[in-house]
Amino acid sequence: MSKVAARPRAMGLSSGFRVLIVDDDPDMSEFLAHMLRAEGMDATTATDGEEGIAKVYAEAPDLVLLDVMMPGVTGFEVCSRLKSDEATAMVPIVLVTALDDSASRVRGIEAGADDFLSKPVRREELIARVKTLRRLHETRRELERRRLAAEVENREAIRRAFSRYVSPRLADRILEDAGSDGELFSRRAQRLNVVALFADLRGFTRITERTEVVDVVAMLNEYFSILTEAAYHHDATIFNMAGDSLLVGFNVPFPQEDAAERAYLTAQEMVSRFAPVATRWEQRYGVATGVGVGICMGDAILANVGSPHYTSYTIIGNPVNTAARLMQTAPANEVLMCGSVYEKVHHLLPANGVEPRGEVTLRGKEEPIAIFAARVAIVD
Amino acid sequence: MTQSGYTVTVAKDLADLIPSFMSNRRKELEALRTALAQSDFDELRRLGHRMKGAGSSYGFDLVSTIGKNIEDGAKASDAAAIGANLDTYEDYLAKVEIVYE
Repeated sequence: MSKVAARPRAMGLSSGFRVLIVDDDPDMSEFLAHMLRAEGMDATTATDGEEGIAKVYAEAPDLVLLDVMMPGVTGFEVCSRLKSDEATAMVPIVLVTALDDSASRVRGIEAGADDFLSKPVRREELIARVKTLRRLHETRRELERRRLAAEVENREAIRRAFSRYVSPRLADRILEDAGSDGELFSRRAQRLNVVALFADLRGFTRITERTEVVDVVAMLNEYFSILTEAAYHHDATIFNMAGDSLLVGFNVPFPQEDAAERAYLTAQEMVSRFAPVATRWEQRYGVATGVGVGICMGDAILANVGSPHYTSYTIIGNPVNTAARLMQTAPANEVLMCGSVYEKVHHLLPANGVEPRGEVTLRGKEEPIAIFAARVAIVD
Repeated sequence: MTQSGYTVTVAKDLADLIPSFMSNRRKELEALRTALAQSDFDELRRLGHRMKGAGSSYGFDLVSTIGKNIEDGAKASDAAAIGANLDTYEDYLAKVEIVYE
């Protein structure tokens, strides 16, 4: 019958506020538990200090009502122990002390108690104190929830921004490494050994001359979708997209031991996955297209370059320039690579599919470099 | 006021707890008698303090008052004062009438 009588009062409160009562007198524990349950709260009890401490760890209550005068471990000791452990320090503790015992209150404050309740306990005082602490608790929990949501939102924003450059997997890793402040967005420049891959679309200029603008954009989107998917598939970082050419890097921003192999496999995938599209376009526009790729490795600088208004996450240096030159000379479906890349990937190349092009002095370069060409077999 | 002179008004929603509360008081009286017979003032003080806390919480103000007297008597090692209070307590427990409101 008491439960029924209490229900209208408990209605307005959300359930789930859990109070642990620590008191060696079962009459007091039962009384307190009864009052709290009537207010729609959950109450559990412990009969001494040790059991109380154990239950705080086991049940993580939202509030502890703690008797002071207990045989064995006193309420003061329970309180200081819980308040000195980071894991339990945030649990609010109400010390239940005799009304005439001001010395106990001082000791209680020293022990870190959040509030006091006088014994004998007046129902109104008990409920008022517990409700106040409950509101505080709920406010704190709500603030914590908002802080977490803001952090998640912040990380998500960073992830979205970064995933324009890198594969979702890499974006996640960058976030793990950078924490929530997006440190990798800083202007800190690094010199790194990179593998640069340039790809572009042979024959596309001729198509644009005879196609509607709308079609050109749709075609470019289709082409770049294939290339970026291939790049992400091998965890490349995308640095630049201009006209119909794409620059991606490996071994940046995270080390990839097999960077050269990844680059070659990316090139192969770009060429072969684009092949069916090329066939379709040829039937429609009568112009042959295909992807040509240049790959080179060496030291480069990785940085956010630009002005306060516009910055770009960029790699700069010889391997990038050389890869660009190689791409310009690569015909459709061919991957041109410098000697250092070839050394690392020759085991991936088909026996008859590779051709040394000797030493070539590239436009704008003084030192000749060894060049190898791999034809990617297109399976129809 | 009824004929016994001891009437306690208890909130209706506490009714479920009262049988256990009363049974604990009777056990408590025995423990107090035993402690007094052994001049165990520490135990008397502890039990008195407990009565003081629980009594009025339930609405039994005299339990708290007697408890305080026992606690004070134990602090002063005053067996006679404690004995008088135990007699009052025994009488009270035998006669108290409870009204639920």
